[in-house]
Amino acid sequence: MESDRTPRDPLAAAERAGAAPYVDYPPTPWWYFPAAGAWAASMVVAIGQAGERPGLTVGLVLVLVAAEVAFIGWYRRYRGTMPSFSGVPAEVARAMGGFAVGAVVVVAVVVAATVWAGVLAGAALAFVGVTAGLVAYERRYEAAARATRERLA
Amino acid sequence: MSIVDLDPVIHAPKRLAAMAVLAASTSTDFPFLRAHLGVSDSDLSKQMSALERSGYVEVAKTGRGRGAVTRYRITREGTAAFRRHVAALEAIVAAGRSHADPVGQPVR
Repeated sequence: MESDRTPRDPLAAAERAGAAPYVDYPPTPWWYFPAAGAWAASMVVAIGQAGERPGLTVGLVLVLVAAEVAFIGWYRRYRGTMPSFSGVPAEVARAMGGFAVGAVVVVAVVVAATVWAGVLAGAALAFVGVTAGLVAYERRYEAAARATRERLA
Repeated sequence: MSIVDLDPVIHAPKRLAAMAVLAASTSTDFPFLRAHLGVSDSDLSKQMSALERSGYVEVAKTGRGRGAVTRYRITREGTAAFRRHVAALEAIVAAGRSHADPVGQPVR
């Protein structure tokens, strides 16, 4: 009996499966965005204390890094997988490129605000910039994931 | 690259899909693979055991009872075997295109 299966079929199946860690994911919880903003603002406050209270800076940074590690562990369990940045679908890669540019802009604005207007202004901008930036990135990523799923369907 | 470079362990569709997921992730848990491959628990266990026996994936189990989680990670050997297999498939497809063209020119 002849098979209709051609070498293209397993290649297409492999591409679909390889995209899965990037495009098959549960909804991002609403609290993630303000929590990430608060984390960034806390980091600005922690680093802003380095000159006067270096011990406090070290302690706060360690706590924030531990929180980040705990979050990544939780998110990996919640998502069921964690993309390795190998074989990123083109649509998703474009969204990630936009994220990288946006992150550089937010960091530059926060650093400038901290230097010129003080730590509290920098922290406030970090909270707003990171929260809003991640909301925008989430929307862009969702669109990219949808486009990838449609292309590979 | 040719048909002799196809890996018989990876060539099975379910194992190919599992390897593709694992090649694109740092680690992936059992429920994600089961949902993506659309297979039963026992079938997935069988497929992953075959990959583990070949040294292509590593398994890590954490927790007990209902909270237990089984996670898989592709090994270096597994990554190399998967890339070889995909390259062999691509070479076969490319060769098929050349043969299909009546004047022997590559299809653009």
